[in-house]
Amino acid sequence: MISLNAVLLISFALFSIGIAGVLIRRNALVILMCVELMLNAANLNFIAFARHSGSAAGQAFALLVMGFAAAEVAVGLALVVALYRRRDTVQVDDLNLLKG
Amino acid sequence: MEHQLESLGRNLFAVFGLLALAGAAFMVVSKRAVHSVLAFLFTMLCVAGCYLSMDAEFLGVAQILVYAGGIVVLFLFVVMLVELTKYKEKDIFHTQSRAAAVAVIAGVVAFAGVFKHAFFGPASPEALVLRPELAQGLDVAHQNAQAIARGLFADYLLPFEILSVILLVALVGAVVLAKTERV
Repeated sequence: MISLNAVLLISFALFSIGIAGVLIRRNALVILMCVELMLNAANLNFIAFARHSGSAAGQAFALLVMGFAAAEVAVGLALVVALYRRRDTVQVDDLNLLKG
Repeated sequence: MEHQLESLGRNLFAVFGLLALAGAAFMVVSKRAVHSVLAFLFTMLCVAGCYLSMDAEFLGVAQILVYAGGIVVLFLFVVMLVELTKYKEKDIFHTQSRAAAVAVIAGVVAFAGVFKHAFFGPASPEALVLRPELAQGLDVAHQNAQAIARGLFADYLLPFEILSVILLVALVGAVVLAKTERV
């Protein structure tokens, strides 16, 4: 039996790496991947808690989150492509249109 | 024998989890976007291994299908569409990366304090259980996909349907956003 805390620890570390990537990288593609990583960490938690509490709901919701992640990637990548067409860059540092 | 199998299961989880962490770290620090995508693929496969070692067989396979089969391919397409080599970025990290790194480390330390209290306690020995009227004639411990299907379509039909609408909206939105101006 895998202990719940071990799973939570791994998932926490994955989430931290994801949030670190979102905060420190400047490439929009890598930022999007880091967001996916954070969703995966949340999924890992869902499954760990489903196992711990013995309910199928956690796994069902993990499946829903997976579909949601797919939708998010589709829109995010379309945004990146549109951005590249208009501004010729995918570096988030260059996107300061709304900066005062 | 059973004890050995159990310890093997726990070790498999640890191995896959640590590999996933290594892949994620490589994904964040690697200079080229293609390497990042490949590290992302590796991480997703390791997370799928974690799911499998936690007896979530259906989700493990779904993870491989959705991520390795769909999302990583999409990422690779976009990386090759968007010519990244012309930037030759020396400084891959954001300009505020020092402050961000400090904030992340502070968060990690804070959470580590939380984790210290409940470190590696006993876990529940139960596998999945369904409500008795749903579990009729089903070996829940060994038929993971069927168990999830009954849980999903009996109790969470509305979120499932909402998700299908969200996917449709995302599909239309992606087409609208990415289509060329002249069409």
